[in-house]
Amino acid sequence: MKKLLAWAILLLGITYFILPLVGMTEFSLSMRRGVYSLDAYRAVLADPRFHQTFGYSVIMALLTIVFGVLLVVPTAFWVQLKMPHLRPVVEFVTLLPLVIPAIVIVFGYIRLYNTSSWLPLTGTTFGTNLLLMLGYATLSLPYMYRAVDTGLRTIDVATLTEAAQSLGAGWTTILARVILPNVLVAVLSGAFVTFAIVMGEFTMAALLNRPAFGPYLQLMGANKAYEPFALAVIAFVITWACMGLIQLVTRFSKHTKAAR
Amino acid sequence: MTFLTIEHLEKSFGPNRVVKDFNLSVEKGEFVSLLGPSGCGKTTVLRMVAGFEAPSAGRIAIDGADVVRLRPNQRNIGMVFQAYALFPNLTVAQNVGFGLKVKGTPRAEIAARVAEMLALIGLPDLGGRYPFQLSGGQQQRVALARALAPKPQVLLLDEPLSALDAKVRVSLRNEIRAIQRELGITTIFVTHDQEEALSMSDRVVVMHQGVADQVGTPFEIYNQPATRFVANFVGTLNILEAEVIDPSLGHVRLPGGQARLGRPLPTGRVTLAARPEMVKLGAEGRDTALQGRITEVDFLGSVIRIRADLGGAVLAFDTFNTSHARPPRVGETVQLGLNAADLLVLQD
Ligand SMILES: Nc1ncnc2c1ncn2[C@@H]1O[C@H](COP(=O)(O)OP(=O)(O)OP(=O)(O)O)[C@@H](O)[C@H]1O
Ligand SMILES: [Mg+2]
Repeated sequence: MKKLLAWAILLLGITYFILPLVGMTEFSLSMRRGVYSLDAYRAVLADPRFHQTFGYSVIMALLTIVFGVLLVVPTAFWVQLKMPHLRPVVEFVTLLPLVIPAIVIVFGYIRLYNTSSWLPLTGTTFGTNLLLMLGYATLSLPYMYRAVDTGLRTIDVATLTEAAQSLGAGWTTILARVILPNVLVAVLSGAFVTFAIVMGEFTMAALLNRPAFGPYLQLMGANKAYEPFALAVIAFVITWACMGLIQLVTRFSKHTKAAR
Repeated sequence: MTFLTIEHLEKSFGPNRVVKDFNLSVEKGEFVSLLGPSGCGKTTVLRMVAGFEAPSAGRIAIDGADVVRLRPNQRNIGMVFQAYALFPNLTVAQNVGFGLKVKGTPRAEIAARVAEMLALIGLPDLGGRYPFQLSGGQQQRVALARALAPKPQVLLLDEPLSALDAKVRVSLRNEIRAIQRELGITTIFVTHDQEEALSMSDRVVVMHQGVADQVGTPFEIYNQPATRFVANFVGTLNILEAEVIDPSLGHVRLPGGQARLGRPLPTGRVTLAARPEMVKLGAEGRDTALQGRITEVDFLGSVIRIRADLGGAVLAFDTFNTSHARPPRVGETVQLGLNAADLLVLQD
């Protein structure tokens, strides 16, 4: 009886998650009346704006990841090594983007960096792209910092650092050869979350008026019937591929057993 | 000329003075142990030599050059930690080669040196393994090889054997000493295990509350402890409070009898100590006889451990078991013999 109940609940959960996906996929395949077809996908893939916005967002995501890693890994390392008492403060700061809506952040940015400000970033395309990338990095900060910080806790940062120092290594070498490789799995999981966030982000890209994938999704959704669902399925597949990659990376890192 | 000189070294953490006026001179190729109870500041001294802690005051010089201002990665010091601290993402060979790679040594040279080091620690075939695939003893040997590979001027070991089980501990300590002799590397070894310190070292520094109580060879430390703390910490001791009868001749009255030490003593009372192995059952052949009543006899096989009450002090000692001499019985009154020259006069 108990077992039956457990199965029923599991089934309910699965249905709750799977059913909308099935419906969505089914609908995205129904562009041609009466038969399943990939017409919607074909239409999406044929749209040059899809290529432009998708490519733009992928590049932005990669840049955001690089920037995020360069910002977060040394910071989390330093906090853990030299000022562990400040950890709650830093943690609180990194969690702020979860509390402050993106729209508030981006309006803050626009006020601070508009063309008549001390640093007119929005005046040029490059500047605006930079601002958007920094915005993305802020949005992904909670996930990136958490992931890296957790990764760092699984190794003896202080002793490994001292061992490397006594062997002649400076800070850059320590970060690149000792710390980063040992938190790589954590960094990658943070990176994939960042990727997923950037690919779907709408508010910042729209308000900064950049040709990103998020606003394109929104535009399609407002104007087309079947294509948005094809896009949603594509976005979903990307997300799942990221998840799968996290698993794969974890599986294939040879030395993770050493980390307790 | 001494190779490593530590002068008037001080370290405070806030109001807490952890190392006080610590002085030590180590010869080139010498093996010196810092021995002391937990919290006496051994690790702190070592970390100041390595550069991980800045001294509050004092001087540290290696080969004539003051190193206090140098960062740890500029000091050319090899360090082995209690927790091994191998880089988990690197293989054994990469771990050992790490220091050379950081220095920019050519690849072929690194490979040769790594092979040489792995042969030295007796693990020539394990270069391709990862640290998690090694036993504790193997990991610590790799850590030793890693520290030695860049040819450091000084080798520092902080309780490298504490995390290992007893058997490995003994074999590895012999191995470490043999490697140290072979390479002739100046070494400071931190331990709280007196047996380790006495058996491995050229000289031992006994530390107590941040101060070096005594610096000497294991023989001196054991046989001529300079302070009461050293005498108590190293080996076991029988403490005998004595009354000085004649200060100039060193004539004292102690529980169970009298002794003529033949050296000048302060007037009043002194604390004397006798190592258990200096005491024997029966007074023949000894210049001092003490009378006592046997309170405890432990038959341990080859050795019989006996405790006797001297009337105010307890004297513990061991005798060898022989098949023809019966062991004493509890309650028996016996003569205990020792030589007055073996009695230690303890100062605080
Ligand atoms: N970073 C620090 N901040 C504050 N106090 C410290 C610090 N490091 C060490 N101490 C204190 O200094 C004293 C000596 O510590 P140390 O680690 O040198 O002892 P030890 O002789 O190595 O002991 P053990 O045998 O337990 O390793 C201890 O009382 C310790 O609490
Ligand atoms: Mg210690």
